[in-house]
Amino acid sequence: MTTTVAGPPGTARARSATKGGARRRRRSWAPYLFISPFYLLYVLFMLVPVGVSLWLSLTEWVGLGPPRWVGLRNYRLLATDISFHRALANTGVFVLVALGLVVPLALLIAQALNTRGLRVRDLWRTAYFVPIVVSPILVALIFGLVFDRQFGLANAVLRALFGSGGVDWLGDPDLARVSIALVMLWRWTGYLTVFFLAGLQNVPRELYEAAALDGAGRLRTFTNVTLPALKPVTAFVVVTSFICAAQIFEEPYLLTGGGPAESTLSVTMFIYRAAFQRQQFGYAAAAAVVLFVLVFGLSRLFNRLLGIGRAAS
Amino acid sequence: MSYLPAAPAPPTRRALLRGAFGLGTAAALSACGGAGTTPRTSGDVTLGLWTHDPGYEAFFGKGVPEADRAGDFRYHLKVTRAGAPDIVTKLLAQAVAGRGTPDLVGFEIGSFPRMLRGDIAERLLHDFTPDIAAVPGLKEDLLPARTAPFSRDGRIYAFDSDTPMVVYFHRRDLFEKYGLPEDVGTWEEFADAGARVHRDHGASMCVVSTVGSDPGQVVQSFQMLLYQRGGAFFDADGTLVLDSPEAEEVLRFLCEGLRSGFVVEVSDYYGAGMQTALKTGRVIGLPMAIWYKNYGLVTNVPEQKGRWRVRALPRFAGGGGVTAALGGTGFGVVEGKANTRAATEFLFRTWLTHEGQVRRFTETGYLPTRRSVYEDARLGAYEDDFCGGQRLFGLYRSLLPDVPPFHQSPDQSILYDVLGGNLLRAYHGDLSPRQALKQTAADFRDQAGR
Repeated sequence: MTTTVAGPPGTARARSATKGGARRRRRSWAPYLFISPFYLLYVLFMLVPVGVSLWLSLTEWVGLGPPRWVGLRNYRLLATDISFHRALANTGVFVLVALGLVVPLALLIAQALNTRGLRVRDLWRTAYFVPIVVSPILVALIFGLVFDRQFGLANAVLRALFGSGGVDWLGDPDLARVSIALVMLWRWTGYLTVFFLAGLQNVPRELYEAAALDGAGRLRTFTNVTLPALKPVTAFVVVTSFICAAQIFEEPYLLTGGGPAESTLSVTMFIYRAAFQRQQFGYAAAAAVVLFVLVFGLSRLFNRLLGIGRAAS
Repeated sequence: MSYLPAAPAPPTRRALLRGAFGLGTAAALSACGGAGTTPRTSGDVTLGLWTHDPGYEAFFGKGVPEADRAGDFRYHLKVTRAGAPDIVTKLLAQAVAGRGTPDLVGFEIGSFPRMLRGDIAERLLHDFTPDIAAVPGLKEDLLPARTAPFSRDGRIYAFDSDTPMVVYFHRRDLFEKYGLPEDVGTWEEFADAGARVHRDHGASMCVVSTVGSDPGQVVQSFQMLLYQRGGAFFDADGTLVLDSPEAEEVLRFLCEGLRSGFVVEVSDYYGAGMQTALKTGRVIGLPMAIWYKNYGLVTNVPEQKGRWRVRALPRFAGGGGVTAALGGTGFGVVEGKANTRAATEFLFRTWLTHEGQVRRFTETGYLPTRRSVYEDARLGAYEDDFCGGQRLFGLYRSLLPDVPPFHQSPDQSILYDVLGGNLLRAYHGDLSPRQALKQTAADFRDQAGR
């Protein structure tokens, strides 16, 4: 029943309070509504997949039908799987190449490109940057031809210089790893150089002038001025290089397929192989969880060691 | 007491997350709803066909009028082409989603073992066994060697496109020039002659692939001779039977051939290395499946048309047959769909008829999978231009009884990975043939069934 009678003196206040309440409610909902797309997408595309992967790693699933719960069996099997150990070791080698060769070389090239009076600096910068934007398929094709045992460019050069060039770049297990390392070097160095170059261009000129006045030589200036000034950039480059190298896939997949004899099999390739060639999705998920834990843990360690996120004292 | 309704409390973060999760789950579940599955029994039907090979697309496209005439359906095809491994991946993804699966799928033989894992084939693919039994004489006429790769527990899930017999391709002109007889009794005699030819002319008469990035291709070189000799990778139950005296004999034969130069390593059968070896006469013969003529020789050395010939493989002195089989593509039908019956009938009326198999050979070069079709006079009269007008069907007919079955296992890719690596080690002398096979069996046991 509805009645429309004049309300008591307090009704206007109550109406005003109702309006105020609705406004307050709208105001209290509004921030959540504005941020909800992010959380919705975050839940759907981050938390749910991670949660499902974790759950899947505790099951045996062929990709169709219901998964079968196996508890920690997949992890126990991984612990004794020689193939997984090989993949971990190979990935470790690729990480070492990235951190021990690619990053220092990128820094040296950046230092060279930052030299005063360098002509066509932009051309050099572009030239070093190009490999990272070249399609990995094309990279594999080019290096497949370069490293071909019988008719490759590398062996042709060796033959021309030393008279013999029957090196089996992609067929010998050790050399296959070296070949992948060379491709990583070619592909990633220029990309990281750009970060270092940006960092170098932000080092205050006065610091170099002060070092010169103090009589510091080139090496001393580099170690005492350049490197400390580049610490935030270096930290970023080291951590991102580590994460990329730990998840390396394209180079070995396209160039060697993880062979010969699994000598270039990376952990991500191991995961791909288990899931999409062998239909062992639970096992692949367990390997992915192990990789995630390793990468996350070591990244945190790097963060702590390199002081990322901490204000400069 | 207030007249005002109590203002609802602002939602907590947890409530919002719950809501988002609920919405996401509802969206995901609604997306998983399958389409209607009332079987179609006649009239217009559009079949979704997935294949990796445009040749099959053309074959089935041309077969539509024939299928229309033979039954109650009026067929239309909607073709999707994708890489051979991608077809299986996409098929499984669509099956999980509950929609978007094709009606007719072509499985390249190397990708089919993925369907054998768990109960995937049983859940997803139509079992043709009762359909075959319903056609008088078909069961006896189909070559068991070519139903074996696509079968499991007595159920047939796909029909092969080919009987890819392994034969010996050779350059007749160079064989004559180097004084090699057309017919050599055994591989062992052949290898002796090959060593002499390599010493005198730098040419090789057999090839092994050593492309590290493709274990399947490395394995193929060994597989052909292994199956010819009477060995196998897996038995009908999918049990590994590789580690056998036959396997050791074949691997030793190849390793010794590599030392003598009778066998040469090429990085891959189709690439620049092989092309150069063929063009320069460094390879004057090789055992390979019959389809290699179109995919390897015609494409790489078209100028050598008329100089190549095909013959049966020499026998091994220790036993075995005169051929093996390598490759193939099986076409299957997705089970439980409205078009399942229509797709099955379409396959039977194009792929398996006598005329269909003759047409398949003339259009794609793939050999019939029905025994009776080999007697067809049109095929008998067929002359191969690339092989100097050679009439090949007499040879194929004679090889037919020796085509061994090729049983597949869900763990086949594991075997290829471990065997490929150990074969390379044996070729390079790092392992003896015995050690390579033992190591392969041990590595396989370590990885299989995880």
